[in-house]
Amino acid sequence: MPSMHPVREAHLRLQTRRHFLAGAGQFSLGAIALEALAQTSAKAAPASAADPLAARLPPQAAKAKRVIYLHMSGGPPNLDIFDGKPELVKHSGEPCPDSFLKGRTFAFTTGVPKLMGSPRTFKKYGKSGILMSDAVPNFHGLADDITLIRSMHTDQFNHAPAELLLFTGHPRQGRPSMGSWVTYGLGSENQNLPGYVVLISSGVQPSGGQGCWGSGFIPSVYQGVQCRSQGDPVLFASDPPGMSRELRRTTLDALRTLNERQHSELGHPETMTRIAQYELAFRMQTSVPEVMDIKRESQKTLDAYGAKPGEASFANNCLLARRLVEQGVRFVQLFDWGWDFHGTGPREDIRDGLTQKMAVTDKPVAALMNDLKQRGLLEDTLIVWGGEFGRTPFREGRTAGGAVLGRDHYPDCYSMFLAGGGVKAGFDYGRTDELGFGVVENKVHVHDLQATILHLLGFDHERLTYRFQGRDYRLTDVHGHVVKDILA
Amino acid sequence: MKQSLIIPILAWYAVQVWPAADATSADISFSRDIRPILSENCFACHGPDEKSRESGLRLDLESSAKHDHEGTIAVVPGKPEASAIIRRIESTDPDEVMPPPRLHKTITPPQIALLKQWIRQGAVWGNHWSYEPVRRPAVPKSSEPGAIDAFLAERLAREKLAFASAADQATLIRRVALDVTGLPPTLEELTSLAKASHEQIVDHYLAKPAFGEHWARPWLDLARYADSAGYPSDPGREIWSYRDWVIRALNTNMPFDQFTIEQLAGDLLPSPTDDQLIATAFHRNTMTNNEGGTNDEEFRTAAVIDRVNTTFAVWMGTTIACAQCHTHKYDPITNKEYFEVYAFLNQSADADKRDESPLHELLTPDLKRNREAWKKELAALDAAFAKPKPWWLRGFDAWLATNPTLADAKLKAAVALAPDKRSKDQLKQLEQHYIKHVSPTSKLTRERRAAVEKLLADSKPVTVPVMTDLDPAKHRKTFVQLRGNWQALGDEVQAGVPAAFPPLPKEAPRNRLALARWLVSRDNPLTARVAVNRMWESLFGVGIVRSSEEFGSQGDMPTHPELLDWLAAEFMESGWDVKHLLTLMLNSRAYRQTSAASPELVEHDPDNRLLARGPRFRPAGELLRDQALAVAGLLSPKMYGAPVRPQRPSLGLNTAFGGANDWQTSPGEDRHRRSIYTEVRRNSPYPSFSTFDAPNREVCTIRRGRSNTPLQAFVTLNDPVFVEAAQALARRIAKEGGVEPAASLPYAIRLCLARDPGAKELSVLTDVYDQALKHYRSDNKAAAQLIAAQPNSATPDIEPAVLAAWTTVANVLLNLDEFLMRR
Repeated sequence: MPSMHPVREAHLRLQTRRHFLAGAGQFSLGAIALEALAQTSAKAAPASAADPLAARLPPQAAKAKRVIYLHMSGGPPNLDIFDGKPELVKHSGEPCPDSFLKGRTFAFTTGVPKLMGSPRTFKKYGKSGILMSDAVPNFHGLADDITLIRSMHTDQFNHAPAELLLFTGHPRQGRPSMGSWVTYGLGSENQNLPGYVVLISSGVQPSGGQGCWGSGFIPSVYQGVQCRSQGDPVLFASDPPGMSRELRRTTLDALRTLNERQHSELGHPETMTRIAQYELAFRMQTSVPEVMDIKRESQKTLDAYGAKPGEASFANNCLLARRLVEQGVRFVQLFDWGWDFHGTGPREDIRDGLTQKMAVTDKPVAALMNDLKQRGLLEDTLIVWGGEFGRTPFREGRTAGGAVLGRDHYPDCYSMFLAGGGVKAGFDYGRTDELGFGVVENKVHVHDLQATILHLLGFDHERLTYRFQGRDYRLTDVHGHVVKDILA
Repeated sequence: MKQSLIIPILAWYAVQVWPAADATSADISFSRDIRPILSENCFACHGPDEKSRESGLRLDLESSAKHDHEGTIAVVPGKPEASAIIRRIESTDPDEVMPPPRLHKTITPPQIALLKQWIRQGAVWGNHWSYEPVRRPAVPKSSEPGAIDAFLAERLAREKLAFASAADQATLIRRVALDVTGLPPTLEELTSLAKASHEQIVDHYLAKPAFGEHWARPWLDLARYADSAGYPSDPGREIWSYRDWVIRALNTNMPFDQFTIEQLAGDLLPSPTDDQLIATAFHRNTMTNNEGGTNDEEFRTAAVIDRVNTTFAVWMGTTIACAQCHTHKYDPITNKEYFEVYAFLNQSADADKRDESPLHELLTPDLKRNREAWKKELAALDAAFAKPKPWWLRGFDAWLATNPTLADAKLKAAVALAPDKRSKDQLKQLEQHYIKHVSPTSKLTRERRAAVEKLLADSKPVTVPVMTDLDPAKHRKTFVQLRGNWQALGDEVQAGVPAAFPPLPKEAPRNRLALARWLVSRDNPLTARVAVNRMWESLFGVGIVRSSEEFGSQGDMPTHPELLDWLAAEFMESGWDVKHLLTLMLNSRAYRQTSAASPELVEHDPDNRLLARGPRFRPAGELLRDQALAVAGLLSPKMYGAPVRPQRPSLGLNTAFGGANDWQTSPGEDRHRRSIYTEVRRNSPYPSFSTFDAPNREVCTIRRGRSNTPLQAFVTLNDPVFVEAAQALARRIAKEGGVEPAASLPYAIRLCLARDPGAKELSVLTDVYDQALKHYRSDNKAAAQLIAAQPNSATPDIEPAVLAAWTTVANVLLNLDEFLMRR
């Protein structure tokens, strides 16, 4: 008997063929197997049971049903936002002790840099008393809703590899992204929208490129679909100019009739799949522009987010994230560019530059959390906020002579926060040393974060696998432990 | 997940498709039936990797499996009840049972029965099938004249199945045209080939230059060919000469062994030609990282690792990447052996440099001729200036008398002197300046010189990154990299090939050329099998080994192992003749069958592995675009050259630290070139190709997915490229077929589907035409929008509403399942 892997085999078959013939009522064993495997949720209609994006229940009880991942591309300065270090302030300006530099390479710093305490003011907020700086005024009110992890660490200190490690579990291209793993495991709850949506703000795609939302070697039906606030919300979703909806319907009806004839002649199940996909495309042509149209929101809501219809802003994308998860989209991923605070220009200054960057980003995040809470969605939606690595406790080498204060890339410790579905609220986790050079308590590696996210969604990260080139691959590679301490 | 429920279902199902033995069968093959079970469930802890090996037991080696380990023997031939392997698998004690529950692996009852039966029959051992030498098996006795069909028919008979009847001539013409050239047949071909034999059709298409353009595409997936360097900034890279080399090599039917040697080591051949150097760009398609703050050595190392992995994936169908960090857990490739292969590829001079050095400069024949002429002319002009014509110096003294302002310090000093104080040299310098910059009588000659200089400067040679080995004195040492970390080095190693495969010839130098020759030696068990399997996959939809990327222990078993070996032997013994092998496959009865299938057959063999019907599948996105442009009459026949930029939507995004992702559409016919010439940018791949599963060419891709999604419907319905094709097709139908549907619909269907229409089809499409015509006659503005023509394509003599109605019909034709599938 050949070696085989049931999940992969079932999916491979589905990729090219529909074993369940819509309307014909014929089952094949492949479809039954997948249905059993997927334990199709009651929501999914029987006819779509064999659809690779049909909603499925995870193998374990899940606290989160969907994810909104807010990625600040570039590496936010953790020491100026969440990780206040009075000792570092005391030693500010002193040469960095040799023990922190020996045998190490930094992206843009050579020689002996100078320690730099944060110029920001830190205070404790909320009942939980979580320390935050004045850079994030709108996060202060979230203190009792979030789990703040100050003990994140990663293996990579350049953007592209660090982002790929974070989102695909591997620092080089070619592996499936976190969002694809999640849609592969869970499908999506709305068959009229993509299951995994990517929204980009500030005009630049992340360093890791499209690999950050790619599907690697798993079926491409699980890759992230980039939706945009200008032009077609989904590429090529609009009918050509001059084609009315009625005429489009006429053409699709003709296609269906002719394709059904083709099917009756050749009996190839893929023809029926194609008919179904064209019908889905027709429905998406209505549902996608609808969900992407934030003009449908009240002025009050727009103001709360700071959203303005027509912009490709982070604020708009936060509002869209809520609209998308509300409609059953499984994984919404936001990428915002401009968090690489080297100090090479005023926008990369940890004083005014950071204040300005936060002014357009912390408010929409707070609005999103409050909005989800009000709608009862926060309890089963997982929110993640963070970057791909942290920043050094010393001034960046190249810019040390200038007036702008910046920090270099730093992988050993940084801060992220999680909120909502299944994580503790008002919880402070992990500790770094007094200068902010390393984690001294409760280290959380990016693989641990990945394992924890999958756990919250109901998966054992060691068992959500895909067979490729003879090996069972997983998001966490051969690493990762669930951070049980932060689970609610 | 409910695995316990699923495995039996799928296992039962699989037995129907694969010729696996069951427990009652007398004919158990170790490599086919037993080794896969052991590999899947046991090798991770009892396999080649000594670091993860438990209890010193190896189940991948006969000696260890049958050895007495302190009173315990895993496999006792003839005695299942005495074999520890059976006892442990059947144990109900969670501390005893194998595989351990924490590994989430299950050996099913039928598999256990099989293991027992095998032990009872003597536990005969063998190697993994694909590591055994290729021997040409005898062709089964059969009424089928062709060897391929004889092997297939034997298996079909065992399953009580038979070949289907042949598809009709028109279907076969389109099938062969699409498979061989990636383009639909022209109307002329449909006529001229209507009475041709199948063999003539195959020969006709194999001889077309479009063959190379079509078959280059999958090879460029393997070669991870792109016109950009990758990583965040993704700058452009000039390497298209390599793409053209692949097309030419395929069209001249270069033998696959030569094709291999030139790409891996063309630079090491004696006095390599331009082409042999260009071929080595195969391994210069690795990415280079220009992100600030990155270490060149780290990314040079990453490129070499990619070359090792790609070489083994492409030629040996072997995932060697695991062994980069640890000894392979399933296949006998050690961590040390990985770096022995790495050592072959570690001497290339390239080092992740921004300028992609070393580069080979290349002059096209035209360019070469022109440059030589210009250089000659320049030399002649310079000689003329060295001996100025007397009349050029007219006005020289007058000019000197004006005391001109000169930038050059020497000249300035000379002008300042009284005329009689100037030395001969100084006078000469001033004369030269006068004739080269001032003299009205030398103006024409001067301008010509400047023009020629500019022509030369602008006619830069085309460059291509190539492999060049460092001087022996500068050779790098190669060390085992611990846990895949390029900075943590272990023992030094020398270039060599893994011990599980045949050795290198003793006298061979340890360089890339030797590695390349080793890959295509008659003794290499994998290269030919892997290559013919990929050809089979291209024509039949699925490989004889489904996992065309993995022939090792964890790969799928071949459905027809003898056929695979026969083809591999034929390939090598024919002199690695690619077109010969393709011809054999294309002329087989299996290939010529109709693809119509009964529900019972679909259920029995959903993936058509047994070939009781013709293959039918959805081709790549590149082919779908080319086909649409071809039937619309837009496709440019121009071959080769710098990449082009067809229409694509502007997304308004920049790459990280790089330029804009968006591009300006190429002018003229370049917007309608075949997809193979479309610029490949790794960070912003051409959207419609990606939607149809094209990889972004960052790493080697052996097998593309074949998904079927609503986003694909958006591409063929609404992508401006396909809309433009519908508009052009409409103009073509109206002009060449006539505006009345009764006359022109049959023409349109023949153009798109290569066959005559059925009555029902005509009535459905006529309805669409009538409704659309009514709509557009009542809405002229909409009609004008839908037919919005590209420059030079207006058809003023046809009513806009009629064209709009035909555009609507064309949009339907370009989206028919039959059009999007190769049937």
